[in-house]
Amino acid sequence: MSERRHDLEAQFDRILSEHGAAISRLAFSYEALASVREELVQEIALAIWQALAHFRGECSERTFVYRIAHNRGLSHVWKRRPPHQPLDEIEESDQPIDPRPHPEEQVAQTDQRMRLMSAIQSLPVTHRQMIVLMLEGLSHAQMAEVLGITENNVAVRLNRARKMLKDATEERP
Amino acid sequence: MIEDRELDTWREQWSSVAEPPADFQRNVHQKIKRQDRRFVLGNFLTVIAFLGILIFALYMRRQSSWMGTGWATGICVLVFVAAGCRVWALRRTWRPETQSTRAFVELWHKRVTARIRLIRISIYLSLGWIIFCAVLTAANWGTIGQDVRALPKDWIALLAVCVLMQPVLLWYGAVWFRRRKLAELSEVEKILDEMDGKSVQ
Repeated sequence: MSERRHDLEAQFDRILSEHGAAISRLAFSYEALASVREELVQEIALAIWQALAHFRGECSERTFVYRIAHNRGLSHVWKRRPPHQPLDEIEESDQPIDPRPHPEEQVAQTDQRMRLMSAIQSLPVTHRQMIVLMLEGLSHAQMAEVLGITENNVAVRLNRARKMLKDATEERP
Repeated sequence: MIEDRELDTWREQWSSVAEPPADFQRNVHQKIKRQDRRFVLGNFLTVIAFLGILIFALYMRRQSSWMGTGWATGICVLVFVAAGCRVWALRRTWRPETQSTRAFVELWHKRVTARIRLIRISIYLSLGWIIFCAVLTAANWGTIGQDVRALPKDWIALLAVCVLMQPVLLWYGAVWFRRRKLAELSEVEKILDEMDGKSVQ
């Protein structure tokens, strides 16, 4: 195996370790069905691997990963119309384990989380992207870099997307 | 600093949404290996198919008849023209994924319109090929005609399957593919409109 390939593999493994959870969360916004989502996560990882050899550090590694993940997510939405399955279809095993001991509190938190996810998945795709990047803690400048729009535009659209998300979460039982 | 409790709550809920599966990295590496193998195999089969077509063309050329020469020339021209058209129609539509989402969607739009253009080119090429075959057959009717008269049923079956079915299949294939691509185009335009803030409010 060449040294170049070895370096790329090491970089790739590091990216997956650092951003694997974020990629999984991001895939959640595009696909509610667990088995298909797992496939989407792998596809995103594969796309990152394919693009990695051409990555020259024009943007931060985080931006690079989010760009690829969102672009793959968009293609996925097109390939799998209707874009989202009801959240009832999410498998039980997919729910993260909450270490806190009170079952009622756990149920309430899971409900809130599911309501949030369901609301995010119901948003138009571009608003969904804004919300996901906001929840991932990206600054307006980073969001602008990922989405290819100006920072002013990010601020305006983010306000609109937040309002839609708020309405959508309140609408859900 | 302004406190944004709503955002903090959402972030807290969001961060516990999903973790990658335990064997995630191993699965990805397996997928990469499978893809590498498919890539090598795909290239190998393409080279074999290309060489096969050229050898077939040479073999036909050795038949030293107008028919043989015509087939050989026709197949070579068709293969090179089809490959050239594909490369031309899909130029500047590769490697979009590392670009920003906006650039990616614009490129996606370009890619779909290129595919729709390619369908039109393919129809013209196929029609050209059918006409070429018809002209070749007419030019060699002296030889073929004897066979046709000797085995009329077989030739009629061959004519129905190979010649008459071609335009029908071609038409339905092109219509089906074009409809799919137009639906995709409309979806991409919808996303672009969303990005411009035209359709979502």
